[in-house]
Amino acid sequence: MKENKLTLQDVKKTFGDGDQQVEVLKGITLEVKAGEFVAVVGPSGSGKSTFLSVSGALLSPTSGRIMIGNQDISTLHAKELNQIRLKNIGFVFQSANLIPYLTVRDQLLLLSELEHQTHKEAEKKADGLLERLGLLHRKNHYPEQLSGGERQRTAIARAWMNDPEIILADEPTASLDSERGRTVVQMLADEVKLREKAAIMVTHDQRMLDLCNRVVYMEDGQLISKPSV
Amino acid sequence: MFLALREMKHAKMRYVLIGLIMVLISFLVLFVSGLAKGLASDNASSIQTMNADYVVLDKQSDQRINRSQLTDEQLKEILHSTNQKQRTEFGLQMTTVQKNGEAKKTDSTLFAVDPKGFIAPQSIDGQSLKEGNKNEAVGDLSLKDEGFQIGDRLKEETTGTVLTLIGFTENQSFSHSPVLHVSLKTWEAMHDGKQSVNAAALKADSGKAKEIEKLVPGVEVISKNDALKSIPGYKEEQGSLLMMIVFLFVIAAFVLSVFFYVITLQKVNQFGVLKAMGAQSGYLSRTVMYQVLSLTVVSLAISILLTFTVSQLLPASMPFLLNVPLVAGCSVLFLTVSVIGSLISLYQVIKIDATEAIGRAS
Ligand SMILES: Nc1ncnc2c1ncn2[C@@H]1O[C@H](COP(=O)(O)OP(=O)(O)OP(=O)(O)O)[C@@H](O)[C@H]1O
Ligand SMILES: [Mg+2]
Repeated sequence: MKENKLTLQDVKKTFGDGDQQVEVLKGITLEVKAGEFVAVVGPSGSGKSTFLSVSGALLSPTSGRIMIGNQDISTLHAKELNQIRLKNIGFVFQSANLIPYLTVRDQLLLLSELEHQTHKEAEKKADGLLERLGLLHRKNHYPEQLSGGERQRTAIARAWMNDPEIILADEPTASLDSERGRTVVQMLADEVKLREKAAIMVTHDQRMLDLCNRVVYMEDGQLISKPSV
Repeated sequence: MFLALREMKHAKMRYVLIGLIMVLISFLVLFVSGLAKGLASDNASSIQTMNADYVVLDKQSDQRINRSQLTDEQLKEILHSTNQKQRTEFGLQMTTVQKNGEAKKTDSTLFAVDPKGFIAPQSIDGQSLKEGNKNEAVGDLSLKDEGFQIGDRLKEETTGTVLTLIGFTENQSFSHSPVLHVSLKTWEAMHDGKQSVNAAALKADSGKAKEIEKLVPGVEVISKNDALKSIPGYKEEQGSLLMMIVFLFVIAAFVLSVFFYVITLQKVNQFGVLKAMGAQSGYLSRTVMYQVLSLTVVSLAISILLTFTVSQLLPASMPFLLNVPLVAGCSVLFLTVSVIGSLISLYQVIKIDATEAIGRAS
């Protein structure tokens, strides 16, 4: 049996206080194992992004337990969560969210800079990643000079840079046509298998689902295995 | 500083422009400071360079040396309670002189000192005052520019005494007029022994100064600095220039803080992404700080260079004085001000939340 990369146990998240309270996540339980690529689909406002933020240590849950690998992160402080994100989690955001004044290569090197790694090693790693994602010829270009697909691929390369245990992607293909989107997701899937890591992807695009090992449905803050329609 | 340098390189124009504004402001700060310093020296260098710590005046003088008169009794008491190395009395009178019987009058301040006392000036040209010789005077170098020469005979207006100019001194002005130093003996003779001295200079610590104030009735002992401030026009000149300098510093702080505040606002989403990727607030704050400081340091360096270049081009008669302590002081203050100006941006950077990054379409 493969190890768990991410474990959520009865995770709840409530926003606001007093009369304004909204329970966005209503008890989520999920296990993601090494080598697994999980897709999350569901209607707008059902809590997918919130679920991803909580899993990725961006938001702390109101109750419940979250484990990354073997480490319980539910009780950690903001500073420790920062370190967890830096070392164990890779994010791919809806719009690639690259830093506008960094070249493709520097986008990756930034992560090793944040982790105080040696430059030589990081450069080798960055070049390797860029090569696998077909970006080597673009490595000295700025984001504004890239196509949408190239930007998303850069974002994926960046997410892998620090060897995270798990990749969290929020609609990574939203701004791409379906063909380009499919290549990007395919690359994500390949990397997950190759490295025995895990990934969760939120998507609206039904055509991507066959690239994933498992599909979970989010509805009104709860995960269900089959859509209710 | 991985991020700071790359960003400044990418948005060159933006940072060059703000740098230019900083250069202009800091240039103005340095220039006005130099002017203030130059005017102070032009006004009152004789008191500034006086080799003394305190001045003893009569109590009714409103702290003004030129209004003060020490009575014989007071002087006796002062002489009694101090030794030769601690005090030297002096007379002061604002007057005009005429050269060699010419009609043209020149403003000047008469300073009567003990030629052997510690405030007697050294001539840089010609001779210094000597104890025995009467009716001799040494004058500030600026008199030379007005056509005076060693050996000239000067007629002092109020007493009609004719003095012989025997040398030139440096940095001796009072209330923007050149100082003519004469010996106390000459002073006595000029006034037929009726005029007493105005004040006494003290070279002593504050304890001694207080002691004399207590011991001698009707006198006040003020520091050299306070004596400077009470020279006619001194406080007013320095005050208005100081106000300009203070305002320039405030403007610099505002310009910098607004610039970095706006830039930080534009980068909220970006900082969110960086934090989501695991960058600490401290790291991002250091990035902003590094940008602020490097911008200020480079601007300062350029404006210091500019100021020194301009000061070389100024006419000699323009009162402008720029020295290393002044430039260093202004620079430190400027750096401090820019750090203060960037605090509001730092606060923003710390406040930004990592969740800014997720589920947003910008
Ligand atoms: N910080 C917050 N404060 C209050 N309510 C919030 C906050 N963040 C999200 N919500 C609410 O939680 C609900 C779920 O939001 P979430 O962004 O997770 O939806 P989503 O499933 O990602 O939607 P979409 O598919 O449109 O991106 C929404 O009703 C939203 O209004
Ligand atoms: Mg969303």
